[in-house]
Amino acid sequence: MYVKSVSLDDHEFIIKRQHVLMSRMIKAILRGLGQFAENEIKEVSFRVNSSHVLAKVHACPSYVVGYTNNSTEIPEFPTAPKIAGELLMAANFPDC
Amino acid sequence: MASFPPRVNEKEIVRSRTIGELLAPAAPFDKKCGRENWTVAFAPDGSYFAWSQGHRTVKLVPWSQCLKNFLLHGTKNITNSSSLRLSRQNSDGGQKNKPREHIIDCGDIVWSLAFGSSVPEKQSRCVNIEWHRFRFGQDQLLLATGLNNGRIKIWDVYTGKLLLNLVDHTEVVRDLTFAPDGSLILVSASRDKTLRVWDLKDDGNMMKVLRGHQNWVYSCAFSPDSSMLCSVGASKAVFLWNMDKYTMIRKLEGHHHDVVACDFSPDGALLATASYDTRVYIWDPHNGDILMEFGHLFPPPTPIFAGGANDRWVRSVSFSHDGLHVASLADDKMVRFWRIDEDYPVQVAPLSNGLCCAFSTDGSVLAAGTHDGSVYFWATPRQVPSLQHLCRMSIRRVMPTQEVQELPIPSKVLEFLSYRI
Repeated sequence: MYVKSVSLDDHEFIIKRQHVLMSRMIKAILRGLGQFAENEIKEVSFRVNSSHVLAKVHACPSYVVGYTNNSTEIPEFPTAPKIAGELLMAANFPDC
Repeated sequence: MASFPPRVNEKEIVRSRTIGELLAPAAPFDKKCGRENWTVAFAPDGSYFAWSQGHRTVKLVPWSQCLKNFLLHGTKNITNSSSLRLSRQNSDGGQKNKPREHIIDCGDIVWSLAFGSSVPEKQSRCVNIEWHRFRFGQDQLLLATGLNNGRIKIWDVYTGKLLLNLVDHTEVVRDLTFAPDGSLILVSASRDKTLRVWDLKDDGNMMKVLRGHQNWVYSCAFSPDSSMLCSVGASKAVFLWNMDKYTMIRKLEGHHHDVVACDFSPDGALLATASYDTRVYIWDPHNGDILMEFGHLFPPPTPIFAGGANDRWVRSVSFSHDGLHVASLADDKMVRFWRIDEDYPVQVAPLSNGLCCAFSTDGSVLAAGTHDGSVYFWATPRQVPSLQHLCRMSIRRVMPTQEVQELPIPSKVLEFLSYRI
């Protein structure tokens, strides 16, 4: 099941619900939106963040889930220094 | 006397996985002094591992082959004589072929080792990089060895040849460190209470003497952007030096006994120091505040015991490359792995007579050297870093704490960024 998150510049990201639910805060927001129907896509808007920052924030949970409790080498998650400031603020909200 | 805080159940702390060990070879007849492994070091690009075996020899082991041997033959890897090869004078282009083992005879007891590379470490803020590239045709990897008589010998790692002999210290050279920006600036710390700065691109010309310590200097470390040097020594000394002007920035007060080891975090925002007062302190080097304290003896000793013999001296500390973990070696026969946000260790490993420890270049292995010349390797606790931590490291590489405090961001994020959480 999927959740749609929209950025400042109207870029829409469709992400798996389990990934987004890793953050307690977003879980609480989604619960407030009511029950999910089978294929219905709920929308969470991150309208303060631009799309390139939001893309990194959403790529993070698959990186975490993929490499946690895995004995292979953990590769670096690429974060460009130029967006580091905005990315920190964006990542603080879902706390990931 | 307990080794862990009272609220921690000792049995719940995970034991680290051993990867391997290198045992020192048997003592040759004519060498009188014992095997003392005062230091182990990894090359900045991860290609070599240097091991001072005692008896005045240093062995350079190609690291990937060493790891493969450990995995193939189980945990023991006793070096046999057929694989030893003496260093050669005229070696062919070693860089293109498989890297070779070298045994280097240094002529005197080796107290310190450091690898230096003319290639700057990735992600360091490089200064004057074009000037460095003009001087040499190919990338150089050097090994500096600090000896008992105060001399420093510089060897070429690929060929095992002696390149330079630096003579100026009058006492044991206790620690050596190269600047991580590839400029081949070497700083040596000695028991003659001084630190000397050498420029190896200028034929080993000594550029500066840093005076200020009142007693033995035990260790030194460069910050990752090469702008600061930390030197620690006897009589509780922790000094920070500005390496552009070679002046002292500040003294960090807080330890109760000799401070014997120091290491910066990979973003330069944290400084870890280990002392004979049973504690490792994590400082903010930009303003001198103590952010965390890792204790090795509980209840913590009173200042009188902390300042004397308390059987729990911490000998070495090392930051891992993910910026989240710290390893410490103490006299209670344990290696501890800490996370910077918890005040009890996340993993421990048994080790007697440990003297020094170092993380491998990729951060996956911790090597620890012991008093009898052997080296032991463990897998470090790996943890997927949070996105916030990665951003914090990116930002702190270029921004000191004072600038961080002025950012217009919410206070919780500000505290996180200053490592105060």
